[in-house]
Amino acid sequence: MKGSFRQSMAWLHTWSGLIVGWVLFAIFVTGTASYYRPDITRWMRPELTRAEPMDAPALGAAAERAVAYLQEHAPQARSWFIALPQPDKPVLDLFWRTRPGEPPRQAMLDPRTGAEAAVRGTRGGDFLYRFHFELHMPPLWGRWIVGICAMIMLVALISGIVTHKRIFADFFTFRRDKAPRRSWLDAHNVTGVLALPFHLMITYTGIMTLALMYMPWGVTTAYRGDNQAFFAEAGLVTTPRPPANRPAALTPVGPIVERALATMPETLERLSVVNPGDANATVVAVFEEPHGLSHQHPQIAFDGVSGETLEILGGGLKPAAKTFTVMTGLHEAHFAGTALRLLFFLCGLMGCAMVATGIVLWSLARLPKANERAFFGLRLVQALNIGSIAGLPAAVAVFFLANRLLPADLAGRAEWEIDAFFGAWIVAALVPLVRPQRRAWCEGLAAVSLLCLAVVAADILTIPGHPLRLTGGGDPLFAWFDAAMLLLAGLFALAARKVLRYEAPRKESQRERSARPEPAASPVSPTRAPVRQTEPTHA
Amino acid sequence: MTPSILAANLGLSFAALAALCLSLNRHHAEVFDRKAERAAVLRLRAFGWAAIAASLVVAGIGEGWAFGPVQWIGALTGAALGLVLLLSYRPRYVAPAALVALGVAAVPLSLAALAVSP
Repeated sequence: MKGSFRQSMAWLHTWSGLIVGWVLFAIFVTGTASYYRPDITRWMRPELTRAEPMDAPALGAAAERAVAYLQEHAPQARSWFIALPQPDKPVLDLFWRTRPGEPPRQAMLDPRTGAEAAVRGTRGGDFLYRFHFELHMPPLWGRWIVGICAMIMLVALISGIVTHKRIFADFFTFRRDKAPRRSWLDAHNVTGVLALPFHLMITYTGIMTLALMYMPWGVTTAYRGDNQAFFAEAGLVTTPRPPANRPAALTPVGPIVERALATMPETLERLSVVNPGDANATVVAVFEEPHGLSHQHPQIAFDGVSGETLEILGGGLKPAAKTFTVMTGLHEAHFAGTALRLLFFLCGLMGCAMVATGIVLWSLARLPKANERAFFGLRLVQALNIGSIAGLPAAVAVFFLANRLLPADLAGRAEWEIDAFFGAWIVAALVPLVRPQRRAWCEGLAAVSLLCLAVVAADILTIPGHPLRLTGGGDPLFAWFDAAMLLLAGLFALAARKVLRYEAPRKESQRERSARPEPAASPVSPTRAPVRQTEPTHA
Repeated sequence: MTPSILAANLGLSFAALAALCLSLNRHHAEVFDRKAERAAVLRLRAFGWAAIAASLVVAGIGEGWAFGPVQWIGALTGAALGLVLLLSYRPRYVAPAALVALGVAAVPLSLAALAVSP
């Protein structure tokens, strides 16, 4: 790590990128998929068909059924969360946690009868969404690891910009027919530079969404660690009310729902009932966010015993809080319509490609000479590359496949789907360790392609209401989802074919190899261009 | 969120980036098999930056100054990806595609101008 500023930045870029590369790839893939989280969830719950929106009295009655169910099944819970039926998801989705540390419980009810709805058990798109920032670990651990990776990602981005000598001259350059390192480096640069505003935004705002967890000292000092008091003062949540420890009957929530709907123009998304059965019970009505960049749900708090309105939160945030909600809003892109969402998705894919090409470059820059054996670190990196770049998409495909193929009444079905996801990933990560590297790439990519095709086949075969089976009918969501899967299958098949047919342009690769100094003497960054003739440019 | 504004943004971005790209010697030679003249380079650059600025104004007026910049950057990124792929696989198509993109952008813009003027 000596030499010029740019060289030390190249060193920093190489190693910061490598140590978090695989985790970042998983974060990027699941995060990109999360732009379509509601659609994925809907696809994974094919029993639910779209319904007409419910009017206020019907919503109120549905909420009462939810409360009746919770009073019977979760009388001890400290808070209940009741997601109200929406046209896209016409069920009552209940969620409660009895004691801290206990896993939360969940139930889905038919809003018209209050009976448990016949829906297959699945986490749906929420699994990918939560994996994106918790990695399916205990939340605290997962969020810390993701946060550290994101901070290192920010380091890698900035040092990458410094390292990139010809950022303007090579802005549009993608020489795909040159030596492998040249082409991969071009692909890495192009995906990194073209979507750089997105990469910087998504990394920075990603850290910001959990900034309070990573940097709690301000709140610790000013609010004695009481995050809720801080959030309430910032206007992000309604003022929390501690339990009075005196029992009192909960007021009927039906009238509360109707009054909430009359107060706000937005769609009512959910109710949270805090301390039900206590004299200080609070019912908070949470609405969908109004159209805008800012991610803030309007909320109304009601007294859970008398039913009177306690507090109305809707906009009017102070600049700092507004900045925070806009950053969260930009990160989640709830505001984006179909076309803009597609652009966000494309940017996400470019992020995946940037990370993938980056970790591949590390191993390409360290390939052994013809008569040398690959050192252990290189073998490990190569296998991990295949295990993540082909393994994770394969695991996601298996997750979707499990959703279609597992019996609908299987006990613990949602967990089985997740087990299938991790099982597939572990297999996909272990197989490359014992296969020759080129074969492993080819097999891995081809396997993803086949699995995506299998998802489409399973979808058409198991869903009676599939648009392809009902000519002119059915939910178009299934057709769109399958089209996306076919596109992915095609892309991965193309990639597998490229690996299979690939022949190195001999001369160039040899010239590059001889131009490369010994790795032991000075680790060569893949971001440093090999010797080549300089071309005059105007930039 | 009107699709026509996004179409205008994508078209303007593509034409602008294609012009900037063709103002670089390497890409100019790939596409036209000759070196760019100094005057042409300056014209292409001036057009490119002006079109990028125009795209921001269109996005800002069409979508408001909150969403506008987001859509502006999104459209630039999407158009740039398309341009790089086209340049890599079919360099000869870059110039005609840029003209088509400019035409695509012109349609919603002139319609909007007609709607505004009495």
